[in-house]
Amino acid sequence: MAKRHRFVVGADEHSVEVDQTSDGVTVTLDEGESLSLDVLEVQVPGTVSFFVGGRQQRAYVSRSGSGYEVTIGERRFVVETAAARRGRGAVGGAEDAPGQITAPLAGVVVEVRVAVGDVLEAGATVLVLEAMKMQNEVQIPRNGTITAIHAEQGENVDKGALLVEYDTDEE
Amino acid sequence: MPKRVLLANRGEIALRVQRTCRELGIETVAVFSEPDRNALHVRQADAAVGIGPGPATESYLVIDRIIEAAKHTGADAVHPGYGFLSENAAFAEACDANGITFIGPPASAMQAMGDKVAARRLMADAGVPIIPGANDVDASNLAAAHAEAERVGFPLMVKAAGGGGGRGIRVVETIDDLDGAMQLSSSEAAAAFGNATVFLERYVSPARHIEVQVMADAHGNARAFGERECSVQRRHQKLLEEAPSVAVDPALRARLCDAATAAALSCGYRNAGTVEFLLDDRTGEFFFLEMNARLQVEHPITELVYGVDLVALQLAVADGQALAPGPAGPPEPNGWAIECRINAEDPHANFAPSFGLVEHVDMPQGPGVRFDSMLYAGLDVPVFYDSLLGKLIVWAEDRPAAIARMKRALQDLLVAGIDTNSAFHLALLDDPDFVAGNVDTGWLEREFTMPSPADDGREATALIAAALAAEMGGRADGAAPAAGPSAADLWARVARADAMNTRVQHTAERGWRSGTGS
Repeated sequence: MAKRHRFVVGADEHSVEVDQTSDGVTVTLDEGESLSLDVLEVQVPGTVSFFVGGRQQRAYVSRSGSGYEVTIGERRFVVETAAARRGRGAVGGAEDAPGQITAPLAGVVVEVRVAVGDVLEAGATVLVLEAMKMQNEVQIPRNGTITAIHAEQGENVDKGALLVEYDTDEE
Repeated sequence: MPKRVLLANRGEIALRVQRTCRELGIETVAVFSEPDRNALHVRQADAAVGIGPGPATESYLVIDRIIEAAKHTGADAVHPGYGFLSENAAFAEACDANGITFIGPPASAMQAMGDKVAARRLMADAGVPIIPGANDVDASNLAAAHAEAERVGFPLMVKAAGGGGGRGIRVVETIDDLDGAMQLSSSEAAAAFGNATVFLERYVSPARHIEVQVMADAHGNARAFGERECSVQRRHQKLLEEAPSVAVDPALRARLCDAATAAALSCGYRNAGTVEFLLDDRTGEFFFLEMNARLQVEHPITELVYGVDLVALQLAVADGQALAPGPAGPPEPNGWAIECRINAEDPHANFAPSFGLVEHVDMPQGPGVRFDSMLYAGLDVPVFYDSLLGKLIVWAEDRPAAIARMKRALQDLLVAGIDTNSAFHLALLDDPDFVAGNVDTGWLEREFTMPSPADDGREATALIAAALAAEMGGRADGAAPAAGPSAADLWARVARADAMNTRVQHTAERGWRSGTGS
């Protein structure tokens, strides 16, 4: 039975489909070509090791919050489950007064995705905030039109800082 | 020889000194602050004494507590390592006053080298080249200072006599900026070092930082063990060192070593020390910078190319033994050694420090590799101290082979749980300027940019590994893994492993491993 996993690394969402059969394991990354794996070892926390196309791949994997931290050589990847990311991202403006979006945590603004005048639906991402090496999408909690942007890319913001203002008909 | 040595330090250097002590049959005593209770240097010592809370000013820098720990445990000698109290004359005197051998230079030599103006005079008298400058300047007599500055030439540096670590130093480009710089440096120095004296030095730039390892005994003998190249620096912090230097030929090496031993003898130096020079590549001139009255962080590269255990020599010299005479003629290095400082910092986030729990470590091994490190799985890197986790050191027949070996060793090193600067070292070792040896003390900050992580397929591997972990490693929602698997769990794993045509290993609490074939 194939099973699809949805993960987020950095700002990008990926899907990994894993199919276990009596012949082995097949994975399909981002709907691409299917790869046949010879899995040597899976320990969590511990080493995950497999051959793909005759080449050995090895990673150290541990649980981290709502996902995994994967270390390969000198590189570390935070692999979050997409569901958890969506849940966390929504925290952004949910508690804010209508018309305002404040920073859910202290961090660096890595991307501003909206401009004044944009008309957005609830749940759309307005900007991306990075803290402790995790990127957090800050979303608009209601339908609205952006009226002011108070943050720019690269800026450090404190928790609770006003980031974006918008007009909305909703309470 | 001492019977029992107390290590007044922590981290990799405490471990380094303990190793030689054990080889010589000398017992070791560790001291530790509260957050270091579980550190390796505590676990591997014969005895250990807690000396206070995390901040160094309340533990590793408190002379009375360390003396008390030595007396309490019957230690007859103290090794200060580097940093902390290693160049503190009051600590050396306190050891003497309590009948404890201080494994380092006498307090008088530390004081002579601690005052930079006094050291300049001492060196000039001993015939050691010093940077052209002016010792007798005073922030309250600026007219006289102007005349001296014109004589020295611009650009020049205003430095504090009591300074160190880059503090109290200002580069002055033109005479218009001199007054302000002198006044600022002087008041800064008065506040930081309790000594408002400043002096002027010609700004020698670009220049290489070349230092010479010396060892002196109580019988008037001093030996030099060649040079180390330490030009790769960020904010005055060394990151990679090598021995020998690409810029030093045997004739220059002989002159550097002669100058270094003259420097050591001029101040009655004993034990291990390092004489730092600035080398101007274009003219071949070198100038005395300062003398470090301690064992240096980067001492292992000298040990590898000169086949010497510097800590063993320190112990012997402190015991009053005479140094064996070196070979006739200038010392000849054997092969090439490189050291990379492995720091807990994120090279992709402007080298921000990284703290926390080290979950797992793969140690580099194999021919020519030495890793002096405080790392182990379970280490909780404290926030109170510097970010040095360990020193990865390689030796090979020549420089290209040493670079290749260091890259291999860095690729073998894996630290899970915190960030390290391994990616920086790998990028540095690939840099064409570095490979050609064209570096000076400003090169790293001026020329080198940390590249973004390569798009090398490892993200795909990480995603696949995460998916396999989710399928086989249990829940991914952060539920704490059980302390140990139940029998039912183990059978379930076997069944899953069978289904996945794989082998699963599990390490139980007692450390046995069971492999289950497919």
